[in-house]
Amino acid sequence: MHQRQAIIERIRRISAGVQRLELAVEPPQQALSGGQFFLARTTAAYDPYLREAWLPVALNDKTIIVERPTRYQYLPNQVVDLLGPLGRPFPLRDSARTLLLIAYEATPSIFLLMLQSALARNSAATLVLIGQARQYPLEALPSALEVIRAEHHETWAERAQHIAWADQIFAVAPPPYDVPAYMRLLEDAQRVRHAVSAELLYGIFQPPMPCGIGACQACLVRLQNGDEVPACTDGMAFDLTRVNLLQNLADSAGA
Amino acid sequence: MLEITTGKMTLRLSRPVIGASGAFGFAGEYGKLLDLSLLGALVTNPISLKARRAASGTRVVPLDSGVLIHTGLPNGGIHKMHRQHAAKWRTSPIPVIMHLIGAPEDLAECAAFLDQQAEIAAIELGINDTLTARETRTTVATVRTRTQLPLLAKLPLYQAVNLAAAAADGGADALVIAAPPRGTARDPLSGQLIGGRVYGAWLKPLAVRVVGQLTPRLSIPIIGCGGIHHPDDARDFFEAGARAVQLDSVVWARPEMVIAIAKAFSGGELTRMSGALADEWRPLGEPAERRTTLIPAPPPPHVPSPPEI
Repeated sequence: MHQRQAIIERIRRISAGVQRLELAVEPPQQALSGGQFFLARTTAAYDPYLREAWLPVALNDKTIIVERPTRYQYLPNQVVDLLGPLGRPFPLRDSARTLLLIAYEATPSIFLLMLQSALARNSAATLVLIGQARQYPLEALPSALEVIRAEHHETWAERAQHIAWADQIFAVAPPPYDVPAYMRLLEDAQRVRHAVSAELLYGIFQPPMPCGIGACQACLVRLQNGDEVPACTDGMAFDLTRVNLLQNLADSAGA
Repeated sequence: MLEITTGKMTLRLSRPVIGASGAFGFAGEYGKLLDLSLLGALVTNPISLKARRAASGTRVVPLDSGVLIHTGLPNGGIHKMHRQHAAKWRTSPIPVIMHLIGAPEDLAECAAFLDQQAEIAAIELGINDTLTARETRTTVATVRTRTQLPLLAKLPLYQAVNLAAAAADGGADALVIAAPPRGTARDPLSGQLIGGRVYGAWLKPLAVRVVGQLTPRLSIPIIGCGGIHHPDDARDFFEAGARAVQLDSVVWARPEMVIAIAKAFSGGELTRMSGALADEWRPLGEPAERRTTLIPAPPPPHVPSPPEI
């Protein structure tokens, strides 16, 4: 983990709601894999106080590309303070030949870096965009990717088949929609496959992360074995068979 | 150097800057990023006798120039935490102070346990903001009877003036003024009002005032805590009478400022203007509005005029 300054070299708007920032970063911060992220600060002032999670979508020679909502304004040559890389890479199995990626009401940006590796080794991948995720520009996605757009989970007609043949499944949804979506997905998987093995089905948890280093204990995810682990160090992807979804659902509901 | 002594055991702080409870983790997690040996000591996250689970519901609410945190103070209980982290505490380059929370009898049991361990240099008691002065005195006195370790009492901001004398009478060897105060804010995601501890630079004037009120009244050292984000903030606490300061949420927002503040009070701080190098006076990355010109900028390089044709 490092704290370094990066420079925004280029800003490109890829849709009405999404812009890509190309950041010149120092070598230690180029060594990252899909699923890892940075905590970024764009101002020396303290408003906003906490850093923001920035997820790289692509790596170039000396730059990384992150996606940010267009409601945030950035300028070329702007200096950004980056803490990271943080978190664990998505546990993409070497033997996984068919991937199912599901974005519920969230951009699929988080999957893009992992997709580069998966498609490079000729894995087949299907991306399902549900709800607001359908607004993501398809031209920004790899051409080798199969994309399905559904209004909501129930209108994703082929989900049983997709869940059945996938070697690994990764799902993302923004809090507080994440846990209910993952519970529904886990139920579908258990019904379709009868048994959901370990390392098959992953949900991505993105709670607010003040420290990024596992110190503040604010981003804990509850596991079935009673452990509570920081999403910033042990995640953001968690095996849904290990997560205590009921308890995490109670957390989301403010119980 | 600051020494906090019970007469039998002494906590020696080679630098007056401490990592506060709740911000730096249980066992030097920030050692991956920062040179913690520049600090005087590190206080662990709160630890209780029995395990505590994380809070349900929203745990982080962003505020203007601050944050509200409601973690529930999760920890595995003192025995499990000791098993997990004792090795790191033992090899820490700086003293480790354990922050304890709980009912008086639980605190006393924890203190008795720690008295038999060598890894912890001192105990910091988190005094609950619902305690009266009498209950505070009793709590501290109960713990005092069970340990020889130096005892710090971290007081709640709003009640610190009322509780300070009681904590000192109970046997505290130093006071920490103050714990992050409780507040309530609306979570933008759920729309609910959430209660928790509040952090931000704007706490500093509140805490400095209380330190200034208490230092004339007490003979034990006071350690200032609250809203420190810059060496000048720490200087304000020292001028108010604090003997040391604790840094908390600045490590989340701008970790590099922890080192800047620690270095500013490490004995290497320059006190003369002449002969100073720019980065020895002000940390890199500091906002321009806080930087003052201490040495004149070098003259621009001479560029000869092109010859006339």
